[in-house]
Amino acid sequence: MVKELVGKPHAGSFFSEFPPESEWDVVVIGAGPNGLITAAYLARAGLKVCLVERRYEIGGGLATEEILYPGFYSNIHACYHMMVDYMPVLRDFDLRRHGLVWIKPNLQTSMVFEDGSSLLLTRMLEDTADSFHKFSQKDSASFGRVMRSWRKMVSEIIAPGTYVPPMAPVDMAVAMQRTEIGQKIMEITEQSPLEIITSHFENDRVRALLLYTCCMWGLDPRETGVGLFVPLLIDRGMNKCYCQGGSHKLASSLAKEIVQAGGCILDSSQVNKISMQNGAVSGVELWEGRTLKSEVVISSLDPHTTFLDLVGTENLAGDLKDSVQGWTWDKWSYSTLHTASEEVPRYACRDPQASEAFMTIIGFEGTDQILAHWDNVVAGKIDRESFGGHVTCQTLFDSHLSRFPGKQVSFFQMHAPYAIEGGWEKRGPEMAEAMLAKWRKAAPNMKPENIIRTSLETPEDIEIRLPNMRFGSIKHGDYHPMQIGCFRPNQDCSSAKTPIDGLFLCGASNYPGGLVIGGPGYLAANKVAEEMGVEKWWKPTPEMEKYVRTYLE
Amino acid sequence: MAKEERYDVIIIGAGHNGTTTAAYLARCGLSVCVLEERPECGGAQETCEPIAGVRIQPHAIANYGGSAPGWEQLELWKYGFRMDWDPNEVVELDPNQSFMTSEGLVPLTDEDIAGWCKITGQIGSPPFMKELMRATFWCPPHPPEVELSEDNIPYMQVYKQFQPEVWTRELLEMTLFDLMDEYLVTEPFKVMQAYIALSSGAHGHMEGVAIPALCSVATVMPPAVAKPVAARGNMHGYFHALFRCAVAHGAVFRACCPVEEIIVDDGRALGVRLRDDATWGVKKIWANKAVISACHIKPTFLDLIGPRNLDAGFMQRIKDLSLKGGSLYMSHFLTREQLRYKPQYRIKEPGEYGAFHGGFFPLDSRENYYENVRVVLGEQSNLDIPPERAMWGMVASELYDPTNPQCTRPGQYINGPLWMMVPTPQYNVDGIDAMDRGAEKKKWDEYMRAALASVVENLDDDNLIRMFNESPYEQEFRNTGMLGGSWYGIRCDRDQWWNERPLPELARYRVPDIENLYMAHQSSAHPGGLCLMAVGYNLMHILIEDGIAEPGDWWYASPWYIPQDGKIPANRS
Repeated sequence: MVKELVGKPHAGSFFSEFPPESEWDVVVIGAGPNGLITAAYLARAGLKVCLVERRYEIGGGLATEEILYPGFYSNIHACYHMMVDYMPVLRDFDLRRHGLVWIKPNLQTSMVFEDGSSLLLTRMLEDTADSFHKFSQKDSASFGRVMRSWRKMVSEIIAPGTYVPPMAPVDMAVAMQRTEIGQKIMEITEQSPLEIITSHFENDRVRALLLYTCCMWGLDPRETGVGLFVPLLIDRGMNKCYCQGGSHKLASSLAKEIVQAGGCILDSSQVNKISMQNGAVSGVELWEGRTLKSEVVISSLDPHTTFLDLVGTENLAGDLKDSVQGWTWDKWSYSTLHTASEEVPRYACRDPQASEAFMTIIGFEGTDQILAHWDNVVAGKIDRESFGGHVTCQTLFDSHLSRFPGKQVSFFQMHAPYAIEGGWEKRGPEMAEAMLAKWRKAAPNMKPENIIRTSLETPEDIEIRLPNMRFGSIKHGDYHPMQIGCFRPNQDCSSAKTPIDGLFLCGASNYPGGLVIGGPGYLAANKVAEEMGVEKWWKPTPEMEKYVRTYLE
Repeated sequence: MAKEERYDVIIIGAGHNGTTTAAYLARCGLSVCVLEERPECGGAQETCEPIAGVRIQPHAIANYGGSAPGWEQLELWKYGFRMDWDPNEVVELDPNQSFMTSEGLVPLTDEDIAGWCKITGQIGSPPFMKELMRATFWCPPHPPEVELSEDNIPYMQVYKQFQPEVWTRELLEMTLFDLMDEYLVTEPFKVMQAYIALSSGAHGHMEGVAIPALCSVATVMPPAVAKPVAARGNMHGYFHALFRCAVAHGAVFRACCPVEEIIVDDGRALGVRLRDDATWGVKKIWANKAVISACHIKPTFLDLIGPRNLDAGFMQRIKDLSLKGGSLYMSHFLTREQLRYKPQYRIKEPGEYGAFHGGFFPLDSRENYYENVRVVLGEQSNLDIPPERAMWGMVASELYDPTNPQCTRPGQYINGPLWMMVPTPQYNVDGIDAMDRGAEKKKWDEYMRAALASVVENLDDDNLIRMFNESPYEQEFRNTGMLGGSWYGIRCDRDQWWNERPLPELARYRVPDIENLYMAHQSSAHPGGLCLMAVGYNLMHILIEDGIAEPGDWWYASPWYIPQDGKIPANRS
């Protein structure tokens, strides 16, 4: 009797399963910020959307997780939200109803030095100018003057332009001639970050603070042609927001919008293949064996994964294949030491406000040291005697991250090479120790008895956790003149549409890029809606309309 | 910012039961707001990745809820639920199964299989396992005016109807061991089932809960040791489907919003007040129809409702609810090469060593079980058993679907959790942090490793990269629903089960003298925990009776449900 039952189904069937084959209007690959944004816009537009995510949790870099296990949540990837003031998605959706709360502290960034002095970069301009007075009266005055112009560049052109399809360089050069501020942008673009900073400021510490602020996300300080990022990243570096409850809140708010609009999210599902039929996209194949049929597939993944792995080189035209294969990854990655501690890190400097800032830059005495560190990193090295980075104590703004009352969660992040001499597996513990020692030198209370737990997230770990940040590339690819603007990821694809019928791109490797600015996702939603003939329920923001009117019409 | 917020229903706690309840009520068209203290919803249905590429399960591991009406009623597949259970993986019936004892492997016999299948309803014409499970877990306790007897206790009726040979009045008095002694022969098999029952809440040796204990073991459907052990995305993947079902039907979830007070006035629950540090700016939220507490019963009454609304006698009975029953120490092992059984524990399988699929140890005899019970429940102190005699169970990553990988770190393997019964911290005679003070925690971490090393040959320093350990004391900090470090809310013994869970006057999920207030936590409601979607389903009967929920055609009541006099019956068509 028993033998007969072996291999037979149990008493009755228990589950209705998700079908092996299903049909959708749109399939979006990757539930990072951009995939979520694209899916949210299109689902609300009435399309039947399926968003597929490899990881067990949605959010991509918007990850707030218990890595200091057990009991402490950390923002393991994105923490500083620089475009909250401009992202259309935050105006088009009322995410506040999901409990999304932004905190924008005035004390944005501090930089501490060995002699006990410090600098502040603040949301309110005069507070920054005050702190520059300690080192240079001239720089203090320059800062006010320069920022007046830079703020205008950002608010009138660069920020709204982030959410409008890119122009070819020739067209842009012509368009920018229409206004005085546009002409200034064209001038500044031709300069390198280092030239821009040194031409405006004389004091080396002031220069160090500003250089770090504008290049920390991967601009080459000596490269020309990327200068327009300097005003943007300094202005936005003074307006970083913290997402209360952790960055994952932004992801979960968007996910709720998708679900409420009838969209479906499949997590723990890896896409193995984008299927093609007669040269056009016909859907995706999942590792688990399911097929999602759709004539529109939107990928938020990096160009190698999308084109070489999922579409397959056999389906790529020669020049598309060449440009994808020529893609270059971020010039550096990040090594982050997460800590849980008994106390907030307190820096050894005269100004207590330095310990209350959203971000604190430690380990650098001047520009030469910063440049030397970045040069080392690009060469695959870290000089243990001379490196630095930035620190954030998240529980200063968010007690919810610690389940143990009064205890603190922080991280120390530094620029680091993906391919470090000796490899991360071997060098990791030593680097964690060096980082802690460096931190303790700046903040003497970060001594062993204050530290409850630590966890090092290396560039290799970034790639393991979020595989399309290949080689630890948090932006999915470098910002150099041939990979920004209409060249991101290449001229055929930077509008979100690709030469492959039905395939669109919405990730950080597309214009305008990464860093949770939400541009690629928004632009892809617009493009797909236009191509599918779906009525847009949203309108450009007033800043975008003004920008389009002034420069594009 | 201070604009008034008002919903039909407020639910406190976005763990499994709060979320199930939200999904049911939102599906009824009610406006629902769920308030969660932690940054992430899910409660015990959590998964984390403490280092890149390594997934661990800090709490719930396996899907016990296979028989739940919720799969159909809430249409969870639509929201991405994928169990991908292979119905041919029927391990309970696997004649090759064997058990680890200190003497080596002991095989299962045909007699054991036949006996187990008979009492769990897996054989019979027709098989009645689903009916048995549903009768035990998915039926609200009978109204207080109904006198309980073997003729109306649901699981007794199921046996009577489907398997009269098993039915006897004695089923109501037995222990699980008694029942197994009647139908099974192999001691290690019985010890294993008793240990699963012990670590599921209704103990194998407790009188009067034989069938609930049996069902706690058997309801791991698909079987706990079958593949896959949990849904795609693990227990948090199951939670995502529930959560998204609730959201799709309009429920509002707010994380980082601890509740400080349930506002009660004139014998009615009106709403809640959030703690000052809640992320949400509006600190008072009002409920038109119901406030449902899906957080632990003790803080619900002692803090949120408080002495300002309750008499001292009732408060004392709440204080006295027992959190005993032991708790679990949880360990995961990250290694360079896959764990290998010692030769005497290798099951003959293709491949050099055979796969590692965890298991239970040591299953020699119930003396091992009782030794554990002596320390954990009797002496209530840190284990004094040599680690090779300490009883544990363990899940291996091999038990998950290979396309739902638990470790994506190249060349590394994660296995776990290994769980071991330890005293509930609240009752540890050496203090609540007796396993955590100073160097103690490290010592117990090593103890878990030594216990596993009884059957595994390669747990040496070269192979073991890292362990992830969590004591019950830490669990309570992480998840306040695990009050006192208890996994079971309150113990599932005969005085706190079904019509007496948590107290007779609260057994129908209502609160005497406070209108519009309902209980829906594993500690405050039948049938307790295990992520069964049962509390929400059972509570639906009561909310229909009270005219709050009016479900559509998708709803069906338990066939064993008895309506309360003077209320709207929940089983009308």
